Amino acid sequence: MNIDDLKGAWNQDEPKDMHLPVSTAQLSKTTSAVGKIRNNMRNEFIAVLVSYAALIWLMFYGIQSAFFFNVTSIFVFTLIVLNCFYFFRFYLFYKSISRYDFNVKDSIRKIAYEVELNTEIYKTYNFCVTPLAVLFTFILLCGKNGMDYIRHILASNVSVAPGNLLIVFATILISFFITYVCINHHVRQQYGRYLATLKQVMDDLGQEE
Amino acid sequence: MDNEEARFLHLIGENKGILYKISKIYEDNPEDRDDLLQEMIVQLWLAFDSFRAESKFSSWMYRVALNTAIVFFKKQKRRPDNQALPYQFERAEEQSAAGEKEEQLAAFYKAVQQLNKVEKALIYLYMEDVSYMEIASNLGISEGNVRVRLNRIKNKLKELIKN
Repeated sequence: MNIDDLKGAWNQDEPKDMHLPVSTAQLSKTTSAVGKIRNNMRNEFIAVLVSYAALIWLMFYGIQSAFFFNVTSIFVFTLIVLNCFYFFRFYLFYKSISRYDFNVKDSIRKIAYEVELNTEIYKTYNFCVTPLAVLFTFILLCGKNGMDYIRHILASNVSVAPGNLLIVFATILISFFITYVCINHHVRQQYGRYLATLKQVMDDLGQEE
Repeated sequence: MDNEEARFLHLIGENKGILYKISKIYEDNPEDRDDLLQEMIVQLWLAFDSFRAESKFSSWMYRVALNTAIVFFKKQKRRPDNQALPYQFERAEEQSAAGEKEEQLAAFYKAVQQLNKVEKALIYLYMEDVSYMEIASNLGISEGNVRVRLNRIKNKLKELIKN
């Protein structure tokens, strides 16, 4: 059978029972991986804003201690600086990623590049924030006793007991390890298959005969 | 409904054959086809601002719709690509294939499922009688490359249909 002979039947193959939306309000949200990334970004941004509200409440009303306020201020300031940097970068990505009107090669290359770059930035962001978040949680969980201990350590002229130092280092290392495993697993689950297919398409397009 | 939206829906309605055929080429399962169709319309609407009236709407639509189809992922809960077609779908194809040409077209659609995403885009544009130059411009590859690839794809499809 000659493929060219099928063109007549192809041209006559018209949609008979195809229902198109009568208004754009009927369109559901995009289900593409790019759309999913954008939704995740928006949700994470909202979560960060909520957690800042909780942190600020804790700073002013949670524990009535000037020392606690000073320590948490340093953490919150550092977290805000980090978040501003990363979320500004994510915002640029959020605005630029939805273009589908380039040619296939440019479009796929752009999407793959942006997705890969941003998953790497996302990983870095989590690595920067995790140690701070762990230390902050540690201070919160320990409450007044923890504050007193930290104040004692900072004010005294003696070294921290090796056992205690070991506990702090071990906590940070374990949190790093758990973060590394979770973030990598999350990124692979969410975007791994998608990125692999995009790379496959790029390879297919790149083959010169 | 504003003018822009009405214009968009009118243009989509006029060119719905493009969406119908691309979804048929890229997805063999009716539910996946519906999802792809929906996704293409969403992406066309999102990108509609970038459509310049001096170019043909159908050319712009090929580009956006094909890009969407290539990066589209079917829902994971459904059957994977390499499984056999479901019984109902096969029967539906047989029932709709009244004449010999329609039967051959149904066989063609089935064979096309064996192609990769780029090959599907190439054969789709070829069947739509898009010039080699325009195919090359849509895909971002050279015209010579389009010719060579299309010859290979046609031979591959012939073999697939024969078997």
